[in-house]
Amino acid sequence: MRVALLTFAIVCAYITALTVAVRAQRGTTVLLVNLPATARVSFSATSVTFPDADPTATPFVPSVPVGVTISARARVPRNSQITLTLQSTDDLRSGVTVLPASLITWTASGAGFAGGTLSRTTPQLVGRWTGSGVRTGTQNFRFENRWTHPTGIYSATLVYTLSSP
Amino acid sequence: MTHAMSDAARVRRRTFSAAAAIVAALVAILPSRASAQQLELTISPIIVAFPTSDPDATPVLNAPPLTVRYRVRANGNRPWTLTVLASGTLTSGLSTIPVANETWIAAPSPPFRAGTMSTTQAQTVAAGTGNVNPMQTGTVTFRLTNSWTYDAGTYLQVLTFTLSAP
Repeated sequence: MRVALLTFAIVCAYITALTVAVRAQRGTTVLLVNLPATARVSFSATSVTFPDADPTATPFVPSVPVGVTISARARVPRNSQITLTLQSTDDLRSGVTVLPASLITWTASGAGFAGGTLSRTTPQLVGRWTGSGVRTGTQNFRFENRWTHPTGIYSATLVYTLSSP
Repeated sequence: MTHAMSDAARVRRRTFSAAAAIVAALVAILPSRASAQQLELTISPIIVAFPTSDPDATPVLNAPPLTVRYRVRANGNRPWTLTVLASGTLTSGLSTIPVANETWIAAPSPPFRAGTMSTTQAQTVAAGTGNVNPMQTGTVTFRLTNSWTYDAGTYLQVLTFTLSAP
């Protein structure tokens, strides 16, 4: 009797094992995603102007448009620093007449954005962040207006650099 | 009395011999039955690489299609399913990409269907009833939401496909 029960149990186990063994097949594959470091910066306006104004009434002339919205997109390795800097290629020039670039300053809003003073010699910090992401902020430029400035139409080119070490 | 005990012993021996013969027969045929596959599944290629692209230009990355070849035999009128399960999230060192950002589209439909990847529960890729014979082919195209928020790096993830019939 015990032998018969043992046999029955073995047969049941066999059937169960056979069913499990045959009724499933598996295959594997590996997904690979290579995401290189990349960055992009964009602006709501690519030029600003400072309209003429009485230096006494308006010692600091706001730019038109008043604010420039900046979108700094960066994909960098984990916890890497990202910086956005601004440098003028030259001082403000009107023919041979020159005004220092430092007459232009800005305030900023938006997480990680900072105010500063324009320079033609040293990149000035506009924003600093850690890790990948999209950061949006606004720069509000103003020009220091003085009676001593020679008349003229002055211009300068500003270069933004978004970088990660 | 001695003769009666001898008969009982003979019966026990005969019973034991019969049981042993059954077990031996089952053991003998087990390998051949197990290897006679009623379900066949082939996944290729082994590695699927997503293309690299700017998230603004390409908000969703499409991997090259994965080819699934499968056959179901001796299944009667019973259902069969093909599922996929991720062993973990896409990982690059300490960086990960949320598994919910991975989806797939598949053809032909039916039996294939679109879905979203999971690391906890096998997701159905295809399902049907009865036999599939001869071998059939389907394609699965994995898609990944592209985002600036991902850390730069090389991410890997192992996917396990399971073809089963209950």
